[in-house]
Amino acid sequence: MQSSKAATERRQRFDQYVGVYHQDMYRYAAWLSRDKAIAEDVVQESLLRAWKSLDALREESSAKQWLLTIVRRENARYFERKRLETVDIDNLTASQAALLAEQPNEELDDMRQAIYELDDDYREPLVLQVLMGYSTNEIAEQMELKQGAVLTRLHRARAKLKEHMARQ
Amino acid sequence: MNCEDYREAIAADPSFDGGAGHLTECAACQAYRAEMQVLDETITRALSLEVPDLHMPELPELTASTSDNVVALPKRKWVSPTWFAVAATVVVAALLGVRLIGTGIEHESLADEILAHLDHEPYALRVTDVAITDERLNSVVAADVAQVDRSVGLISYAQSCVINGHDVPHLVIQGERGPVTILLMPEEMLDGPESIRGDSINGVILPVGNGSIAILGESEEDLEKIERQVLKTVVWST
Repeated sequence: MQSSKAATERRQRFDQYVGVYHQDMYRYAAWLSRDKAIAEDVVQESLLRAWKSLDALREESSAKQWLLTIVRRENARYFERKRLETVDIDNLTASQAALLAEQPNEELDDMRQAIYELDDDYREPLVLQVLMGYSTNEIAEQMELKQGAVLTRLHRARAKLKEHMARQ
Repeated sequence: MNCEDYREAIAADPSFDGGAGHLTECAACQAYRAEMQVLDETITRALSLEVPDLHMPELPELTASTSDNVVALPKRKWVSPTWFAVAATVVVAALLGVRLIGTGIEHESLADEILAHLDHEPYALRVTDVAITDERLNSVVAADVAQVDRSVGLISYAQSCVINGHDVPHLVIQGERGPVTILLMPEEMLDGPESIRGDSINGVILPVGNGSIAILGESEEDLEKIERQVLKTVVWST
């Protein structure tokens, strides 16, 4: 059992990270799962796991990457537990459809659908690069890939999105 | 570097700044780069979902058995693009500066809150030659708050944000060394200018009329020039 002061400090440290990175955690989870309701569940589970393993985080500068790694693993666990089937774009649940109907903007709707339809292998590095600000080296570490593979996936992801938008 | 190499690099990372020699001589690659940057701007906006309010789960009191160190720290390699380096520096500065009261975050100073805020929107700090539309600018900078003349620079980002409890227009213009953040804070009255400094970012909060304007850019950016430009082109409406 921790002393009261240590417990308070630990909780303050945790709240600080959550305050700064909650939005990143949610958006990453949403684009990994492609479902807003699942993203909220994944973030909740990730916060619990982060709370329990907070002492493993030694460097504050690594907090974002540490939290996103937890989100990634919790998302994988969630899908393993539920054994979810492949999403059919023509037959979405309400919370899947909510992801696509985020803002009333035709161009963004088209782009969001194109991103939604990308394979996970292409969508994830794109989210990490564009939204989270990761370098290709950092994406390679996060996804346990060679940097060359990351570059190829990013190149192909953009090529697919460009092609999709050109068709609209 | 030839066209094929350059286009592969730019499609993998539109902020790629190598191949400058090739780019200056190849109009087709210049056009391709601009096209990819427009595409990335749309991708960024599409990915930036609204985030629902946080519902903090009930956190268990920790004992030896509940403490769980299963997540290993990833090793970091600091070879990131410049704009990410800026954001990372801001993270460190922000984490050192904030303190917590209750469940909300309260910052030691306006400068600390501004630094923390920039970390929330790292995608705003992109190098681009694409300006936002007048419609977008006008929706963020309400006419009863301020008028912003386009000659301030190429405005690449505009978002209404909350700083110190007030809605604040958050703009990004393209400086000579990279993106420059401008926060228009009509309700933040200061006695004098306040500096904001980080390892690779610096800035100032300037008192302007009954409010203030924060301007932040990379350390090598000539911010004094931009400050003069901002003071000439931004006018409070009240």
